[in-house]
Amino acid sequence: MDTKRLITCLMEDIRKKTASELNLMEVCGTHTRAFFQSGIREMLPPSIRLLSGPGCPVCVTDEACIDAAIALLKEKDIHLATFGDMLRVRGTHESLSDQFGKRGNVSIAYSPLDCLALSKKLSGRQLVFLAVGFETTAPSIALAVKLAKENGIGNLSFLMALKRMPPVLHHILAAKRNRLHGIICPGHVAAVMGARYFSFIAQEYAIPAVICGFEAMDMACGIYMLTRQCNGQERSSLRNLYKTCVGDEGNATANKLLQEVFEVDEASWRGIGRIKDSAYVLSSRYKDFDALNRFCIRLSNPLPKSGCSCGDVIIGNILPYECRMFEVVCRPQNPLGPCMVSSEGSCAIYFNNGRVPMK
Amino acid sequence: MEELIRLYHGDGGKHTALLIRELFYKYFGNEMLLQGLDAGVFHTAEGRLAFTTDSFVIKPLFFPGGDIGKLAVYGTTNDLAVSGAKPLYVSAGFIIEEGFKLDELERIVRSMRVACQETGACIITGDTKVVEKGAVDGIFINTSGIGIVDCAYCHKEVKPGDHIIVTGSIAEHGAAIALERYKIPVKGPFSSDCGSVYNIITQLKPYYSGIKLMKDPTRGGLATALNEISEREGMESNICEHAIPIRREVEGICRLLGLDPLYLACEGRVILVVDPDISSAVLQRIKSCENGMGACIIGSFTGRREEVVYLQTNIGGKRILNPLEGPMLPRIC
Repeated sequence: MDTKRLITCLMEDIRKKTASELNLMEVCGTHTRAFFQSGIREMLPPSIRLLSGPGCPVCVTDEACIDAAIALLKEKDIHLATFGDMLRVRGTHESLSDQFGKRGNVSIAYSPLDCLALSKKLSGRQLVFLAVGFETTAPSIALAVKLAKENGIGNLSFLMALKRMPPVLHHILAAKRNRLHGIICPGHVAAVMGARYFSFIAQEYAIPAVICGFEAMDMACGIYMLTRQCNGQERSSLRNLYKTCVGDEGNATANKLLQEVFEVDEASWRGIGRIKDSAYVLSSRYKDFDALNRFCIRLSNPLPKSGCSCGDVIIGNILPYECRMFEVVCRPQNPLGPCMVSSEGSCAIYFNNGRVPMK
Repeated sequence: MEELIRLYHGDGGKHTALLIRELFYKYFGNEMLLQGLDAGVFHTAEGRLAFTTDSFVIKPLFFPGGDIGKLAVYGTTNDLAVSGAKPLYVSAGFIIEEGFKLDELERIVRSMRVACQETGACIITGDTKVVEKGAVDGIFINTSGIGIVDCAYCHKEVKPGDHIIVTGSIAEHGAAIALERYKIPVKGPFSSDCGSVYNIITQLKPYYSGIKLMKDPTRGGLATALNEISEREGMESNICEHAIPIRREVEGICRLLGLDPLYLACEGRVILVVDPDISSAVLQRIKSCENGMGACIIGSFTGRREEVVYLQTNIGGKRILNPLEGPMLPRIC
């Protein structure tokens, strides 16, 4: 049977057997986008509501971090490198692209390891890498830090904004406000950390969870497995359907690096607030490479902006369409909140790939 | 409208269109301009002429498969070609940053000559300005072109059921530029499709009566060009994902970078809207050209009076291809 027919059969089965409304959260922005682009969203019965989760690194990076990067650019004459998506996210007042446009002292890096070569080219001028992401980008950032130390690169440091996934999921699941019935776990995080990293979802909260890939068939199977558990056809558990990439224990080399270079601390999540143990920060051995330490910059405590509901969107309380700013004021060219910035941000995905449902 | 010009006003998307409509049309508006075509077409005693202009401010200046010079000639001659015109004369205006290397300028000019030879056009006038360091980024080139429109071709109203053809695999220019711009160390056959489309269009002369319109999907790619057509014609179009020609390597690199190939620029392709009775014959004729071998019928106009482009996905789902707002940047993870 070809993929198209198989998916049609799965969808038919889901439609027949799902009587009640189900709220399923796809944690990762790449899944949100793939659901739209594959057309699966349109094929699901209306009783299944897909909610975006906090899995877009741009969306969860708080204003204080952007403000600190801008302060470094303005006050310390450094060169800043970061991932492309980050350039357009606003801090309290402006974004890095505003600075980029003015002075050309911001570079887009696709890999943090590029900074090792870039730091040499800058011949002594200080380079700061704005390190955002989750367990996915963390290993390559850890490697860049380690290599910087080993090679005695004195003009490279890291503005740390790395986040960990389990604490924010605990935060969402414990709140129960969004009445989640199932979780599609972030596949790339699972590839690094292992399937067991997410076993707490079913064990502690009795909510079904799947790990699946990003092809249409992977995602259709993921939803099918979740609905079977939700409908009582199977007991709630964590199902790993992405075994080609995800083992039980994850990538041993990457995990060793994470343990060596980072330690866990509290983090501030944009629109959500502070969550214990949800940050990767540099361990004492590597503190010299922390840009905040090196340049004596302190993170501010920006007041949350009124009007934007990004915080509610990324924990599944509302759909992007339900934010009163969506499309009316907040658009990709004029993003109020970070969810409208990145191509993996839930609001931008809904804006670019969907239409506001008729009321 | 906002008070300041932003980069997005020049990205060829929604805000460029808004600026054109609300400012340029307001002051320059005339019957020819307001048609909003790739070239202005006007009548003379001897026949119709097409006139167009384009400026090239790209980065990087040199990329696999071309450079700013090649792009500057083909960009303009292709706009003439899709207007049904034979490109005749081109002007070239250079704005060069002080300190630009002379041998790089010669490389650019040399490739402009090769591109002109291929299309049969001549550069008959030009202008050179040098500005202080930092005033431009290396070199900016403006080209204008004039061509004579084939008497058998004109732009016609799109009807329900008309087929949509694309003359080759998409997103190749956009992918090649993205790899260079973001310095992605991936090796592979990534090369811009930058080239002339005039040779394909001259092959289609016998079918001009059934060709409703032609458009080159440059900035914003296939999806943006189809949205422009749908909006102009006030009609829904429907394309099939599996029919869209795209090379596996290009698809792969787009996935890796988080870019959507449907929105990446082509610089040597044409979208044609064709009467379904002749679409197979038109397709065969396009395929007989070396740069048209990958041509495909990718969809049709449905007749619904809604300005929207739908994509039937490979698995039988449906996706709306909205006009893109904002630039596509590589994703983080």
